[in-house]
Amino acid sequence: MLVLSRQRDETIMIGDAVEITIVDIRGDKVRLGITAPREIQVHRKEVYEAIRAENTAAARVQVDDLAAADRQLRSNHTRRNGAANSVARP
Amino acid sequence: MRIETSRFGTVEVDDARTIRFPKGLLGFPNHTDYVLLEAGDDSYFWWLQSTQTPDLAFVVTDPGVFVPTYKVPLREEQIEDLGAATLDEVQVFVIVNKRENMLTGNLQGPLIVGVRERVGEQLVLSDRRFTTRVPLMEMANKVRAASA
Repeated sequence: MLVLSRQRDETIMIGDAVEITIVDIRGDKVRLGITAPREIQVHRKEVYEAIRAENTAAARVQVDDLAAADRQLRSNHTRRNGAANSVARP
Repeated sequence: MRIETSRFGTVEVDDARTIRFPKGLLGFPNHTDYVLLEAGDDSYFWWLQSTQTPDLAFVVTDPGVFVPTYKVPLREEQIEDLGAATLDEVQVFVIVNKRENMLTGNLQGPLIVGVRERVGEQLVLSDRRFTTRVPLMEMANKVRAASA
């Protein structure tokens, strides 16, 4: 790992297109500003890892695991609402 | 198009039904091509089946059915990247997991798909209200015979 020291408002470049700026330092917390092209996704590592791990676990689900689910949902009279749209403007 | 699947054997699907995830899914960066298979008549679930690896498939569902308050905020660029013109052309799915008797949904890493171009992406949400294991439903236990 490359370890660099930076002060507030200073910037690190990664390749030509990624910039990381120290926006604020307060006690234990550092606020970082990241500029990167759209194709490069930037995430907190622990969240990324959690999703990756959950994907991997979910890939093990088999048909039998679902077997009773639909029957149970129908018998609970839950209406299947295909029109519900879970997207919104930020 | 004929695809091999470990769960359903050989399945015949219209080529036009392929959904492409250019970045793959997290942990599966090279698995870009999938089809949605219904889990049954009038089911609440689908299988997102890889067309590249027979054994790779995910149960997905519409999170709106189980968590009506769930909203995925999308920026213009994200909508455009899916080949969609408006929010109405974007469909959200979440990957379902099963732990013991609970079906859970990964609401922190939803799949968004532009329905027109059939291009999708797995998002990483920073909203901490929704986790990778949001309970969707508990499966009722089968009645067990009493032991002596």
